Amino acid sequence: MNRLETRIGNLVLKNPVLTASGTFGYGLEYDDFFDVAELGGICTKGLSLEPRAGNAPERICETPASMLNAIGLANVGVEAFCRDKLPVLRERNVTVVANIFASSTDDFVKIAERLDAESGVHALELNVSCPNVSHGGIEFGKDPKLAAQVTSAVRKASRLPVWVKMSPEAGDIVAVAKACEDAGADALTAINTIRGMSIDVDAERQRLANRTGGFSGPALRPIALRIVWDLCGAVSIPVIGIGGISTTRDALEFLLAGARAIQVGTASFADPCAARKVLSGIDAHCEKLGITASELVGRARR
Amino acid sequence: MSGRTVRSQVTVPLLRRETIGASYHVLTFDVGKDQSVLPGHFVMVRGAEWGDAPLLPRPMSYLSGGPTPSILIKVVGEGTTRMARAEPGEPFSLLGPLGVPWRAPNPNRRQVLVAGGVGVAPLLFLARTLVGARRPIVVYGGRTRSDLPLDDELAENAELHVTTEDGSRGHQGRVTDVLGSLLGDDVEVFSCGPDRMMAKVAELCAKRDVPCEVSVEAPMACGYGVCLGCPIPATGGGYVYACTQGPCIDARRIDWSRADHAPRRSGEGGKTA
Repeated sequence: MNRLETRIGNLVLKNPVLTASGTFGYGLEYDDFFDVAELGGICTKGLSLEPRAGNAPERICETPASMLNAIGLANVGVEAFCRDKLPVLRERNVTVVANIFASSTDDFVKIAERLDAESGVHALELNVSCPNVSHGGIEFGKDPKLAAQVTSAVRKASRLPVWVKMSPEAGDIVAVAKACEDAGADALTAINTIRGMSIDVDAERQRLANRTGGFSGPALRPIALRIVWDLCGAVSIPVIGIGGISTTRDALEFLLAGARAIQVGTASFADPCAARKVLSGIDAHCEKLGITASELVGRARR
Repeated sequence: MSGRTVRSQVTVPLLRRETIGASYHVLTFDVGKDQSVLPGHFVMVRGAEWGDAPLLPRPMSYLSGGPTPSILIKVVGEGTTRMARAEPGEPFSLLGPLGVPWRAPNPNRRQVLVAGGVGVAPLLFLARTLVGARRPIVVYGGRTRSDLPLDDELAENAELHVTTEDGSRGHQGRVTDVLGSLLGDDVEVFSCGPDRMMAKVAELCAKRDVPCEVSVEAPMACGYGVCLGCPIPATGGGYVYACTQGPCIDARRIDWSRADHAPRRSGEGGKTA
């Protein structure tokens, strides 16, 4: 048997290691580095109804053990994704989680319906927490009622499992999480980035054209872990942990806190094989302890 | 686990580091195999023992290829400061070659290479490959005489024209003061340097209908089309990405009027050569 097999609701993943939306393109960009079908899954770049060019430069900058990004959800649009990317992913047996983004509930539903018509998409991840766009995104994720409304509408429109990506900027993130659970979410992804900023002292100006950008990387990890711990104690649907995971030990922290699976994000930039290395490391750890990955989940809560 | 590997990240030792003046260094790595690096390609460079900070690899143009490729760095921030202190044997992770290299030089034209400061790296690499053909012309500018690393190597491989803004070497002024008189029907231009310089070079070339290729610089986290951190405003709207549609690109494809000409970041994160 596969000791890494992971269940997220009704969806069975090969293992608990996924790659985070926005850090893994549409998966195919990593072809040269390793077979991405080995992963538990990939979360696509956020897909919108229409293609988006994204924000003006500068879009990224490095901060201590972290980075800021304000890409502005540049993406090919759901139609081009279904036409150009998905057939290749399907042929390669990649487990695809489509991250979707819209500025209205109606548009969330339209994107979900479009993806529902395709085979090869295994789950939807609702981005109700993007900090880098002026409409939609984070507003949905801060308010339990709005988050529940989007979740419920997508739940009704699609046969696919619905994961909701939590914003750490929600005043009461547990309330948002419970509202999404009640509205039919199959899982929660926690956390998205948190807004930060940086000023170039010599140029005396903000580094990012958007002024603020999503803060990610190892420095974010303790905050993400705390939120994952809290959510795992508050909801009964699976929580997928994300936030500054670079190594096997980082990933194990989240699993031990109760996350059913994890996502590797920013770490893929410095090392394109980071997710595969985390996967190998978890496998070795489970072998050493003689347990399955599922048995690791929540062991720090005992 | 199975898995095919084509492009890869390798961890290799620094072979040597040569210091040039106060803030430039040439780092040569022992990759041990030829990775088919061409002039204009770039590489993502990160100290293998940096830990969590500096976090991201730094994009750098190759100065040379082969089994012992090199880069030219200018110390501008935390990552390049670490590189400038690195000793032979120190492990680095290299991911390359990446991006679009310089287009093949046209044998029916003479090449005019226009370099600003540390932007000389991909142009010196190109000049060295033009041996046997007619020697290229290089116009090389900096603020002052110490901003002209590797000028002697250029002089060996090209007809060299030097400009400095303070007049401490060569013509007092900018590369674009000299370039105009060198342009004609029988030349093509390759340029790498600050945005403002390249914008002016592109403008002069466009007016005279001279083909012009530039190597652009932008911050990047990945180097291969995923982070989308390196947009360059494109002619006709939207963006091209420096990592996968550049760094070497026809200057006419860039909307220089939308390129950010305000004072740029003083630190690093962009392709600095």
